[in-house]
Amino acid sequence: MNDNDTLTATLAAATCALLGSTIATPATAAEADQWSFDSSLLYYGESDDRVQDVSAALSAKRNFEDERSLGISLTADTLTGASASGATAMNTPQTFTSPSGRAVYTTPAGDVPLDDTFHDTRFALSANWTQPLARLYTVAAGLGFSTEYDYRHLGANLSLARDFNKRNTTLSAGIAWSQDDIDPVGGAPVPLAQMLDVGNGTSKRSSDSKDVMDLLLGFTQVLGRNTVLRANYSYSKASGYLNDPYKILSVVDPLTGDTIARVPAGGVLGPTGVYRYESRPDSRAKQSLYAEVKHSFGAPVLHLAYRFMTDDWQIDSHTLDARLRWPIGAASYIEPQLRYYVQSEAEFYRASLVAGQPLPRYASADFRLGNFDAVTAGVKFGHRTASGNEWSTRLEYYMQSGDVPRQQIIGNQANREQYPDLNAVIVQFGYSFRL
Amino acid sequence: MKAILAVTAALALSGCASLGVQPWERDVLARPEMSLDAYALDAAIDDHIYFSKEASSGGRGFGGGGCGCN
Amino acid sequence: MFADSAIAAAPASEQQRTAELVRGEDHWIGRFSAMGCPCEVLIEQVPATLARRLVDEVSRCAWRIEAKFSRYRDDNIVHLINTSAGRPVSVDEETAKLLDFAATLTRLSDGRFDITCGVLRKAWRFDGGDHVPLQSEIDALLPLIGWHRLSWHSPVLSLQPGMQIDFGGIGKEYAVDAAVALASGIARGVSCLVNFGGDVAVRHPRRDGRAWRVGVESADRVGAAASIISLTRGALATSGDSRRFALKDGKRYSHVLDARTGWPVANSPRSVTVAAESCTQAGTLATLALLQADAAEALLRAQKVRYWLQ
Repeated sequence: MNDNDTLTATLAAATCALLGSTIATPATAAEADQWSFDSSLLYYGESDDRVQDVSAALSAKRNFEDERSLGISLTADTLTGASASGATAMNTPQTFTSPSGRAVYTTPAGDVPLDDTFHDTRFALSANWTQPLARLYTVAAGLGFSTEYDYRHLGANLSLARDFNKRNTTLSAGIAWSQDDIDPVGGAPVPLAQMLDVGNGTSKRSSDSKDVMDLLLGFTQVLGRNTVLRANYSYSKASGYLNDPYKILSVVDPLTGDTIARVPAGGVLGPTGVYRYESRPDSRAKQSLYAEVKHSFGAPVLHLAYRFMTDDWQIDSHTLDARLRWPIGAASYIEPQLRYYVQSEAEFYRASLVAGQPLPRYASADFRLGNFDAVTAGVKFGHRTASGNEWSTRLEYYMQSGDVPRQQIIGNQANREQYPDLNAVIVQFGYSFRL
Repeated sequence: MKAILAVTAALALSGCASLGVQPWERDVLARPEMSLDAYALDAAIDDHIYFSKEASSGGRGFGGGGCGCN
Repeated sequence: MFADSAIAAAPASEQQRTAELVRGEDHWIGRFSAMGCPCEVLIEQVPATLARRLVDEVSRCAWRIEAKFSRYRDDNIVHLINTSAGRPVSVDEETAKLLDFAATLTRLSDGRFDITCGVLRKAWRFDGGDHVPLQSEIDALLPLIGWHRLSWHSPVLSLQPGMQIDFGGIGKEYAVDAAVALASGIARGVSCLVNFGGDVAVRHPRRDGRAWRVGVESADRVGAAASIISLTRGALATSGDSRRFALKDGKRYSHVLDARTGWPVANSPRSVTVAAESCTQAGTLATLALLQADAAEALLRAQKVRYWLQ
């Protein structure tokens, strides 16, 4: 056999002579990548020693012939830190029994009480399968599972999509079910029962569960060469145990607004005030309308999304999200992002319970059910390597601030912080690659 | 709520027959960043964070949830 | 898609001389038969009239080359050469270029590849049957094989009596390259993928940035794809035994014969697919590699081309 370099040169010259032209551009052929992966490492940290979360996620997608595909996703995250329990601040230190019922924790005077006994690790796994059903029809099915110390979730979903109008329009309908089992630390509290001393479990029951059914109707439309629109309507019905087992309300004096004091039984530790566990309805029906548009201005791409949500707990919310992806050179991009969210409080949201008045049927002081708005400002930077893989990094700042309706503020509460603002920083590193 | 839905649907279906592009005009739409499902992992992470801090969830896809964080 | 790179033309009367054009999801598909195999032209979305013209021109190009170089016809230059019984034949420019190319290949492969091994079809029938010739039959034909036995001084070719030439090893790839050049001239910048029975070439990438997906037929399961290759631009050619072979006592005899011995190469990969700038180059490398038997991979690695073995 001739020397290999001679082979290449001779063959190139011979081919050139035969075909009568030089083809200067090399062939670009590659085994069609079958697996594509997205990975992410995320840190979420709230200010003031509140919740911190580190999570790692990996999702993989395998494309088969005929547009069938399999997706698998794995996530692990660890949560530490404290979150507001719903009790109001007082001008004296407050002691609470921790959720396990075996210890107490104390909040300094003037601070909004935070329950910091919560540490958890969660694993989630999901898989989905997509395939064409007939010409213009696509069906997708998925399964999900997640587990953490006090919570287990099992879910399934199914959806069907149909293309119209030269694939410019797609209509889709989907349904999802999930069954969650809740086994709170220390037991699920009896709604509105009083928080008792350490070792006294009469306010607690064993585990409970909830079911959720979701319906999703979707519409996607190409508006032009550079623009695409998606609009969804979704309906969600949850029933079962919807309380947050770790959230409480302070019972306060009707004039001063101070928490009613209490002395633990002799020889044991316990709460220094009267606190009651929250109670939410055992069903919740949500509806939402969502619309998003992606528009390309040549190289930059703008993404706008809006969502309106309303439910039978009287919560209404609006979300507006805008991102602008701006290319830098041929291989990188920067994407600033702004999100605005506002919600109105649940019907049964109240800052505190008033002593002497009959207990309402439902009550929660969970700030996540209250009046607030939140702004997220962030930027993402990404870079595609020569081999087609992509590095990205995101930095976001989430600022949530709310208020308690004036008519619910009683007496001295007006002098103290009622609704703790939440500020969090989010840092994420991502890597997408193909095999 | 129902009225909004009906109006939206009517507008959409009446307009969609004439909207759209020819198959050979899909070059921009084929770019990865123009896909509505681009960066699905980022979207899932965001959904999860907001689900645990706010009272709303989902919209883009199924409601998410499936965790004890709300 | 198919993995076969030799011209095995059925007699012209059995082939249809029409090319059909259908609309795929986002491209045009032109289909016709030529050189004994299914041929396709895939064109990215263009107006229907241009697509029709491209398919017509490409199919005419394929039929022209087939008519001119098929060894099964009795009205072309190849027939003239093969019945020349030792008389010199003066060939045209296109044939001369092919003969020059064949000479180079014989030299590059140290005689393993030789277009004069056409006579071996008297001994071998690669139809999946179990006919394997005796050594004596091969020995009788060997004196009629060998580039060194003919006289080629462009444009005059003189064979020894009884010798035959067969352009089957390079004709199809050449036709693909000619078709792609023709299409490029008709529709500048349009991505047009030409596929003649598994030998594929495309000159311009698609405007929407996606790659064409080409299935390489499995050597074991005819009709099923062993792998999918995404081709943005360039050519793919395959040499192998998936379709044309003899099978006796469990041993598979590839139709790619070593001209020095008259036997198929032993211990070679079942199938070699190569990506290169032109289909001719890809096909040549694939065949040269196959002829190197177990040194096939070494040759391909040394050439720094993308290849797939089965």
